[in-house]
Amino acid sequence: MPIEETITAILRVAVPWLLFSFALWKLFGKLGRLKRWLAWIPGLRYVALGDVADMDQEGWFCGIMDLFFVLSGILSGLPKPALTGDRVSTALSLIFVILYVFLFVYRIRLILRLIELFGLSKWWLLLWFVIDWLPPLLWGLGKKYQPQREIELHDVWEAGTAPAAIPSAAHTARKAYPGLSVELRERTVRDFGKKRYLLKDIDLDIPNGSLVLLLGGSGAGKTTFVNAVIGYEKADATILLNGSNVYEDYDSVKYRIGFVPQKNLVRGNDTVVRTISDAAELRMPASTSGWERRKKVTEVMDQLGLTAGSGGLVSKKSGGQLRRISIAMELVTDPELFVLDEPDSGLDGVMARELFSRLREIADEGKIVIAITHTPDRVIDLFDKVIVLAKDSGRVGRLAFYGSPSEARSFFGRDTMEGIVMSVNREEEGGEGLADEFIERYARLAAAQEAVS
Amino acid sequence: MTEKIRYKGWFGQTGIYLGKSLRMFLYQNDWKVLPMGAVIAGVVTFVVGSNMFVTQEGTLMGAFALVCVCIWNGFFNSIQVVCREREIVKREHRAGLHMSAYIAAQMIYQLLLCAAQTVVTLAICQVAGVRFPAEGIVTDLGVLDIGITILLITYAADMMALMVSCLVRTTTTAMTVMPFLLIFQLVFSGGFFSLSGFAKKITVLTISRWGLDSICALGRYNELPMVTLWNTLFQFKDITYNGQKPLLQVILSMQEKNQVDDFLLWSGSYNTEAAYVSSLANLLQNWGALLILVIVFAAAAMIALRSIDRDKR
Repeated sequence: MPIEETITAILRVAVPWLLFSFALWKLFGKLGRLKRWLAWIPGLRYVALGDVADMDQEGWFCGIMDLFFVLSGILSGLPKPALTGDRVSTALSLIFVILYVFLFVYRIRLILRLIELFGLSKWWLLLWFVIDWLPPLLWGLGKKYQPQREIELHDVWEAGTAPAAIPSAAHTARKAYPGLSVELRERTVRDFGKKRYLLKDIDLDIPNGSLVLLLGGSGAGKTTFVNAVIGYEKADATILLNGSNVYEDYDSVKYRIGFVPQKNLVRGNDTVVRTISDAAELRMPASTSGWERRKKVTEVMDQLGLTAGSGGLVSKKSGGQLRRISIAMELVTDPELFVLDEPDSGLDGVMARELFSRLREIADEGKIVIAITHTPDRVIDLFDKVIVLAKDSGRVGRLAFYGSPSEARSFFGRDTMEGIVMSVNREEEGGEGLADEFIERYARLAAAQEAVS
Repeated sequence: MTEKIRYKGWFGQTGIYLGKSLRMFLYQNDWKVLPMGAVIAGVVTFVVGSNMFVTQEGTLMGAFALVCVCIWNGFFNSIQVVCREREIVKREHRAGLHMSAYIAAQMIYQLLLCAAQTVVTLAICQVAGVRFPAEGIVTDLGVLDIGITILLITYAADMMALMVSCLVRTTTTAMTVMPFLLIFQLVFSGGFFSLSGFAKKITVLTISRWGLDSICALGRYNELPMVTLWNTLFQFKDITYNGQKPLLQVILSMQEKNQVDDFLLWSGSYNTEAAYVSSLANLLQNWGALLILVIVFAAAAMIALRSIDRDKR
C-alpha cells in the first residue's frame, strides 16, 4: 500500500477517535468530580459514562465493545466478519449481529440518559449516531449546556476521596454482653467491580428485653442494617447475640433469630395452617413433639388472629393477614432476636397498635425486638430504644443516634419521631439536611459516654 | 459444654417440601399440565400417529413428534418452579433449609408429574390409533418400554428446565430462555435434520437425540419398510422414454407379482441407521444417556441454587 493511502487510512480512524476523546475530556469536566483523563482510556470512558448515567451494565458493555473496536482497529482494521459461507464464519457473524444489536440498544439508553441529564431535546440522539464526537464536544465547550442535577458517582471514578470524612461512634462488641452487641465497621457492595459503601461505623449494644425502633429516611440503610445484624447479608462486622457470634456460629444462631422481611415471603398456593406448621417443623428443634408443635402453632395463630380461615389459601388473604402470617411463621419458633421490617404495612391504626403491643409483650419475655416502621409516632410509647440511621454527605448510612425515645427528642430538638427523620433527611428529599451535623454530634456524645464507662 | 440442638434433617425437610409441592399440584393448578399434555399429545399423534411403527418414515416422524411432546411437557412442568419463589427459597435457606433437600423434593414431585404425563400420553396414543410394538426389548411389553422411554425423555427435559429455573432469577427470563432450548433440542436431535461434523457431535448433549434413538430402536426402525422410494417411483410413473413408460411397467409388474411389500422392505434395508439398532445394548445405552443427563441437570440445579444467598435485593 502506498504511504499516502496508509496515512489517509490512519487519519480516517485516528481523527474521529481523537475528536471523540477530546470531546469526552471536555464533557467529563462538567460531570461532577469525574476524573477527566478517563476520557482518553478506551473502554473505561464508557464505564465512567455509564456511572454518570447510573447505567452500569450499559456502560460496561459499551466499554468492552469500545475496547474491542480500538484493539481490532489497531490490529487489523475495523471488524469485518468474512461471510465465506463456512460454519465458523456464520457463527461469528451471528455473534457480531447479536453484539451490535446489544450495542445499539445500550448506546441509545446511555445517550438518552445523558440527554436527559443535560435537559436537552431527544433529537440530539440522532446527532450522536451520525457524528458521535459532535454532541459531547458541543456540550463540553458550550456554557449553556450544563447538567441539570447533581451527579452521584462511585468513589473509584471520582477525582477526590469521598467517604469516611465524618467521625462516628465506636465501641468494641463485648462477648459477655447480655443482649445484642453490634460492631459494624462497614457494609459495602461491588457494582461491576466498584466498591460502594452502604453503611459505616455503626456500633451499639441492645440489652435483652428491649423493643427497639429503627428510624431513618428512605435509603438510609435500615433494611441493609437489619440484614447485616441477622447475618442475612453479611457485613464487615462483629455481631454478638448473648455471646454467640452471629456470623461465625450462623448455623446454630440462625434458629434463634426471627426475621420478617419487608416483602411477604410466603407461598400463596398453600393453606395458612400448613404454611405456619411447615415453618415450625423446619425450624423448631427436632426433639419437639408433634403435640407441642401443634400447640405452639395454634397459640401463635390465636395471638395473631389467624385461627378463623386457617384452612384457606394464603393467596386469598388480605394484605394485613399476609403480614400476620409472615410474623406468625417467625414467632412460632420463639426467637431470641426478632427483627421486623415494616410489620405494620397494610395494617390499620388499631391493628398496628395491637401488633406492636404484642411485640412489646414478646420483648417483656426477655427477647430483643427490632422494628422498622414508617408511622412510628402512633406506637412510640411502647418502645424502649430508638436507633436513627442517616445518610451522610457521601451517601453512606451512619448512626445518628441511639438511645431512649425521650433522649432522642431532646437530642434532635424535635417532638416527634417523624420530625427526627425529617431533620436528617436530605434537602432534596424534603428534609432539613442536618444528617452530617447529628452524626458528628452523636459520635462526640458516644465517645464521651464510652470514656466515662 | 452445651448440647448441640438438632433440627429437622435432610429426609424430614425433603418430606416437608414434597408435601408443599403436592399441595401446589392441587391448589396452584399444576394439575392442569395433565390435560394440557393430553391435548398436545392428541394433536400430534392425530397427525402422525397412523404410520408410526408401520413404516420407517412414519416411525421417524412419529418418534420426532413424540419426543417434541415429551420435551415440551417436561419444560413446562418446571421452567418456573424455582425462579417464581426464589426469594422465598433464599429466606428459607437462611433459616435452615438444605438446598439438596429442596431439589430432592422437586425431583421426586416432578418424577411423579412426569409419570402421570407418560400415562396420559400413552393413553392418547392408543386412542389415536398408534400401533405400539407388541414386544419390548428390555421388558416383554413393547408399550412398557415405550412408556419408560417417554418418562425418561420427559423427566430429562423437566430436569433441564429445573436447572434453568435455578439459574435465572425471574420467570420472564426463564420463559425467554425456554424457546431457545427447545429449538436447540429439535435442531440437534440428529434424526430429522441432516447434521455432520461438529454439529453432529453436539447431538450427544441433547435429550432429543437419545429419545429419538430409543423410540426408533423400540419401533424396530431398521426392520420396517421404506415407502419413499416407492412413492417417488409412483410419482414419476408417467415419464415416457422412447415412447414407453418404463417406470409404470415396473410398478405394474411388481403389483402383478405381489412384490410391492418385498420391494418396500428391500428399499428399507438400504436405509438402516446404526443408532436405531433394536438391541438391548443400544436401548440401554440410550436410556443410560438420558439418565446421565437427568443427573447432570439436577446436580447443576443444586449447584446453581447454592449461590442463592448472593442474590441482591
